[in-house]
Amino acid sequence: MESQIILILFGGFLLLMFIGAPITVALGVSTLLSFLYLGENPIKFVQIAFTSVGSFPLMALPAFILAGALMEAAGLSRRLINVAESFAGPFTGGMSAATVFACLFFGAISGSGPATTAAVGMLMIPAMIQRGYGRSYASAITASSGGLGIVIPPSIPLIIFGIAALGMPAPPAAVEQFGQFQTVSIPKLFIAGFMPAFLIAGSLLLMNYVLAKKHGYKGSGEGWSARQIWCELYRGFWALMAPVVILGGIYSGFFTPTEAAIVAIFYTLIVGAFIYRELSWTKLFTALETTTWLTGRVLLIMFTATVFGRLLVENQIPAIIADGMLSVTDNIYIIWALVIFFLLFVGMFMETLATILILVPVMLPVAYSVGIDPIHFGVVMVCCLGIGFQTPPLGENLFIASGISNISIEKISVAALPFAFINTVAIFIIAFVPEITLWLPRFFGY
Amino acid sequence: MTKFWYVIDNIESYICRTLLAIFVCLLFLQVIVRTLFDFSFSWVEELSIYMFVWFVFFGASYAAKKGAHNRVTFQFKFLPPGAIKYIEAFADLFWIFFNVYFVYLSIDFIFNKMNKFQSSQTMGFHLSWVYIVLPIAFSLMTIRVLQVNYKKIILGEDMRDPDAIDLDEIRAETAELEQEKK
Repeated sequence: MESQIILILFGGFLLLMFIGAPITVALGVSTLLSFLYLGENPIKFVQIAFTSVGSFPLMALPAFILAGALMEAAGLSRRLINVAESFAGPFTGGMSAATVFACLFFGAISGSGPATTAAVGMLMIPAMIQRGYGRSYASAITASSGGLGIVIPPSIPLIIFGIAALGMPAPPAAVEQFGQFQTVSIPKLFIAGFMPAFLIAGSLLLMNYVLAKKHGYKGSGEGWSARQIWCELYRGFWALMAPVVILGGIYSGFFTPTEAAIVAIFYTLIVGAFIYRELSWTKLFTALETTTWLTGRVLLIMFTATVFGRLLVENQIPAIIADGMLSVTDNIYIIWALVIFFLLFVGMFMETLATILILVPVMLPVAYSVGIDPIHFGVVMVCCLGIGFQTPPLGENLFIASGISNISIEKISVAALPFAFINTVAIFIIAFVPEITLWLPRFFGY
Repeated sequence: MTKFWYVIDNIESYICRTLLAIFVCLLFLQVIVRTLFDFSFSWVEELSIYMFVWFVFFGASYAAKKGAHNRVTFQFKFLPPGAIKYIEAFADLFWIFFNVYFVYLSIDFIFNKMNKFQSSQTMGFHLSWVYIVLPIAFSLMTIRVLQVNYKKIILGEDMRDPDAIDLDEIRAETAELEQEKK
């Protein structure tokens, strides 16, 4: 019985994906067919359509997407790039290090790897080339750091992970074996994302320093320009305050993540309309429109992925996968390695949020049953998917960077390999040392 | 008349932008009132969740109109572009099948299966008024799927991928801002 369900569910899903059906349709149709095969009443679909979407924490998603779109339209994001640029200074590889920071800042707001690469690259790649950096090197570092920001809170993938994981309690057998697992919450995930994000950024900076030294990319001769830094900090003050308002509000317990996002929207509206004066009605309507279709498509997947996940759990399919995995090895490090390579692979050609929604019901119960903490698992998952965009052969960031610098994808891919390598090493460290992720939330008493 | 058809053609977009603007403002009002007067309206949270559900399903229909629903396409890399649209149209038949069946299920649920006493907790109206969005939005979505395929196959229009990043546009904007700086 179970093997037939697995065949209909996963076989149908993969086949539909292969013939180019939208991900949400592949999930919905294969689940519906399994329901009919099992003779279960598909009326559940209707209730789940309503309950999976109608939750207050989920409203953080459109609110943060809208806040991000407005911050770009109002010029807050660009000022952050300028602040990062002004810090380039006299260091070896300073300009490319500034690019990494610019991607961190920008990505935290925009939440999209390719969009980050485009916006930051447009300013920083020409600036790097002007300072004598190789074209392929300048493109490679931008493409490699483009996906960083999605781990930095407020992170949309972490919100999606949090919501998906809330519906997946730890299986009783796992609780019996490993004790009670901590509960998943969005503020906890946000705070857990900090150290891993900085570890990955740090690994990129280290590789950048080594390579820049080898290639002889020196800093500017003049040293720090205190005046320029001060100027950019002054111009970027309101933009720099935005994360303070959002995260400060959440961690002081003043706002829930949804409310913090709502406050960020109004903060950006006021700064954009009255202080920076870059926001217009047209831009506001465009931001609302973008939020509409982005949210609509993700949350339609949320609906079908929830029914899909419910069916998986009811038929104990994650337990079968976990048993299969444990029969091969029960070494936690080998299991992590399998998980990481699988996620890197999937992240290369599937949209990040869709991947999270599909894989959480499949993989989180497996993670529980080998004793992996759910917060830790979520952070590693999002880190892996962030890297999928920047690794050859399919990375989207590489195409964008190539469009900006007019260098072939092959050349950029070769130049990006050391960064992909060091990023993967950083992810392995994050996976093998749970404390990197779990220490900070515990320290703050979450 | 053309203006009228433009509005009809983008009806989900208008509905969604209005709903989004209203529930964002409602929640902001709630935050303000709570912070300043330590008071909260009991109905705001529930009402905004219902508006959010409407926003999501109409938004999904709008995304269908824009051809924005993610597909995995890298396996088509070596096929001629002319063939891809027929394969995707075939795949979309499954989408239509799913939608039609779901519309049937949701109508059956709303009119025959729903408990008479299933009402909103703070506002008292019957929840079928919220669930009614499901058959409406999924019917609209089906029309959009047909519309997109009609445009692609019969009219031969090239649908622009809404996720694609227009580098020229960003380049122009960046250049403009650099100019201003000087």
